[in-house]
Amino acid sequence: MHVQGTGDPVSSGDRAAAVRPGEADRSGAPAPVVPGTFHQGWTGLGESMGRSDGLSRRKFLSSSAAAAGGAALIGVGGPVALAGCASSTSSGSSATSGGAASAASAGVGTGTPRRGGSAILATTSEIDGFYPPSNHWDATGFLYANTVFDPLVAVGADGSAQPYLAESVTPNPDNTVWTVRLRPGVTFSDGSALTSSVLKANFDALKASPLTGIALQIVEKAAIVDPLSVAFTCTGPNVAFPYYLTSQVGYVFGTAMIDAASGSGPATPVGTGPFVYSSWQPNDHFTATRNPHYWRPGYPYLDAITFRPIADTTQRESTLKTGAVDLIYSADPNTVDHFNGVSGYQVVTNLHDTVGEPDMDFVMLNCAKPPTDDLRVRQALAHGLDATALAKLFGGGLEQPATGLFPPGSPYYSPTTYPTFDQAAARSLVHQYAAQHGTPSVQLGTVTDPRLSRVVQAIQQMWQQVGFDVSLQIIDQASFITNAITGDFQAYTFEQFSAADPDLNYVWWSTTTIAAPGKIGLNFARNADPQIEQAMVAARGETNRAARIADYQKVNERFAVDLPYLWLGRTVWSEVSNQRLQNFAGMVLPDGTRAKPFDNGVSFTAQMWMAG
Amino acid sequence: MLATYLLKRLVQLIAVSFLISVIVFMLVHLLPGDPSVTILGPNDTPQNRAILLHQLGLNKPLVQQYATWLGQVFHGSLGQSYLTHQQVTQIIGQGAPVDVELIVLSQLIAFAVAIPLALVTSRRPNRAVDRTATTTTFGLLALPPFVLAPILVAVFAVGLGWFPATGTVPISQNLATNLHDMILPSLALAVGSIAVYYRLLRSDLIATLQEDFITSARAKGLHPRRVMLRHALRPSTFSLLAAAGVNIGSLLAGAFIVESLFAINGIGLALVDAVEQRDYLVVQGIALVIAVAYVVIQFVVDFIFTVVDPRVARG
Repeated sequence: MHVQGTGDPVSSGDRAAAVRPGEADRSGAPAPVVPGTFHQGWTGLGESMGRSDGLSRRKFLSSSAAAAGGAALIGVGGPVALAGCASSTSSGSSATSGGAASAASAGVGTGTPRRGGSAILATTSEIDGFYPPSNHWDATGFLYANTVFDPLVAVGADGSAQPYLAESVTPNPDNTVWTVRLRPGVTFSDGSALTSSVLKANFDALKASPLTGIALQIVEKAAIVDPLSVAFTCTGPNVAFPYYLTSQVGYVFGTAMIDAASGSGPATPVGTGPFVYSSWQPNDHFTATRNPHYWRPGYPYLDAITFRPIADTTQRESTLKTGAVDLIYSADPNTVDHFNGVSGYQVVTNLHDTVGEPDMDFVMLNCAKPPTDDLRVRQALAHGLDATALAKLFGGGLEQPATGLFPPGSPYYSPTTYPTFDQAAARSLVHQYAAQHGTPSVQLGTVTDPRLSRVVQAIQQMWQQVGFDVSLQIIDQASFITNAITGDFQAYTFEQFSAADPDLNYVWWSTTTIAAPGKIGLNFARNADPQIEQAMVAARGETNRAARIADYQKVNERFAVDLPYLWLGRTVWSEVSNQRLQNFAGMVLPDGTRAKPFDNGVSFTAQMWMAG
Repeated sequence: MLATYLLKRLVQLIAVSFLISVIVFMLVHLLPGDPSVTILGPNDTPQNRAILLHQLGLNKPLVQQYATWLGQVFHGSLGQSYLTHQQVTQIIGQGAPVDVELIVLSQLIAFAVAIPLALVTSRRPNRAVDRTATTTTFGLLALPPFVLAPILVAVFAVGLGWFPATGTVPISQNLATNLHDMILPSLALAVGSIAVYYRLLRSDLIATLQEDFITSARAKGLHPRRVMLRHALRPSTFSLLAAAGVNIGSLLAGAFIVESLFAINGIGLALVDAVEQRDYLVVQGIALVIAVAYVVIQFVVDFIFTVVDPRVARG
């Protein structure tokens, strides 16, 4: 029942073990981020008022998400973290409960599940549709998807890739061909059967899509093996393949959706999920009712579930307080502060996730455009940026500034030579540069958002203090993204990189995706470091866990040297519920192990229930 | 005379609507970027972009695109969203009634408060009641909806629990609940109008009450209430009506903000999303409908002017 692979060093030779490329050990901790969860707008220091992750609410580069699986996106961020705000941790998520309840029990039902009732969940954004090949899913998209669809693979609480709708995902000896075997007897909401031909049709639609095709560039072809099995031939050895199936390209949809999409009409979701689509009015609500034929016996517990997008964080919190919704999602660290320890509420955050890569907030520097193409300038900007002060100003003082891609506790974590805040060193570097080229002028850009505007103003002051001439560029999201893709920027605030496995971020860091300014390139920072490329290529096919970790530690260190990204912190997501909603962070997988409870604003809905 | 006047205004309405459609079309296409950025994201390669723009018809000359779109408009179609594939008319059909209800309710609240208040205070200007009302409304002018809404929610929704903090029940589902849910959003939008309407009407009433025909009415022994309601109010409403008509534009903008703050699904959210994502047809469709609605409202206000004061029609 596990994803099988030869690449799991923990169980070398044990083909029944779950594959966790590069992960430490099974007791290790928390799980990675579901790939493909992209965020728009910004979240880190808090959501934008108008549109959160969206900037707002939406999904822009989520394409990549689906795409590289590695999350994409935009806007930006700032410090986050919330250290110390949670009283205990569980599978990488921090959980607290108001009153005297056990802190560790928040979000995990402890009583007897109760069938029936309905729940209303308030999301941070709205989606643009349910069709995986063409719609952009952010956190809300994956919430909806977990309601009416099922992923082939889910991320376990230990970070492993676990079969979900797939019965097994098995590699050949050199990890170049992965065979996905579907569970038998599963039907879609329209009554059609889940078969290998449906999965193949899914693959064809996803591969042909300009949006999701990039995520499947790693797959050369798919072939039907038998009525329930499809063999995916990768372009080379790829031990991370199962993790790609946790992303947008891993959610299986009925062929009726393909037919509807080909007719240019909106595709009503047809899935195998725990709930069946009932109604959707964009920006108002999405309601689904219990799937009486769900393949997981006994689930779901709820008769119906409704999602209400409420973009403004304050209003979302107020709505929870009035009892109009049962649970809210938030990417604003202040939400944790507002509800932590308050009687009557349960708070779960992703604060202590350490496996895979968290969603990072950072300032991205263009390594191909003056003056940030000069390493001394990037070093000076790094030395001049006080991430701790930013965290105090905008993250409630809960942030732990980052010095690399991976947080302490992650198997991939290792100390780096990332520059510390040192204004004297920054001034010295600026003087060196100025002696040759004059005072460096840097344009710092972000998207239109009141909070982000304050963040960049603070950074502007920091950099001006060490001798830079800094101007601000605050523009709309579409223009912002266009500029990032074409390299028409110097310094941009950004939020990106959440991934179940680092390999899903390959396209963002690869030297093969760099383009000259003005040309489209997915390596937005244009950081051309052959050592990074070499390490990532090696890691993709690496079956030895220690060696794979070393590869990504190498990548991390090279970023600390190259400085295409000035780290601010990680994005902190939280879900806050009343005491009636139970088990919103206690999902159990088909094999009885726990799923990652809460993943960058995404949770599973099948096992939630309402207390009497 | 009246018919000629109305006909002239109707022609102007059509001309203005056409001009607006051209301007909106051009402005939308002048924005940097295009839908391919949103739809394709990082996969916005030249090849993919070319295919997509061809599929969307965006590779054709602007004039041809405009002509195609206008032709569809005359056939009752505003096109389809590039992203959600929803018909633009459907998007507007879902959202517009919410905005209309919001604006209508806010104006009813504004008139219901402003007119009686002005009638009371104008009878005895500069007294304590008048000064209190004037000072209060002056303060309300400085309270935009985005400031007032969180306060209303904190007090009446979270604190007292009288109203929901966000969302409404559709009017088709339950009228009473819908009206109850719309009170806070309508109030947030109405407060600015209350202040403006009150101050205008109060000033005009004070001036009117100095007129000879009011003195004459009083000399005849008419009851003061009758003097105010039957003789002073009507000629004093000209500025009020003019302000109400002009106010529609700002109310629409305010309604969009209120929608966002109260998570009400009007066309404002759809419009903002469409602009961000360069969903041209949605932007054009909504902007056209808003513009035409605005012009029609002005037309109606002008018509009411001719009823209130027939000299307007005479020119």
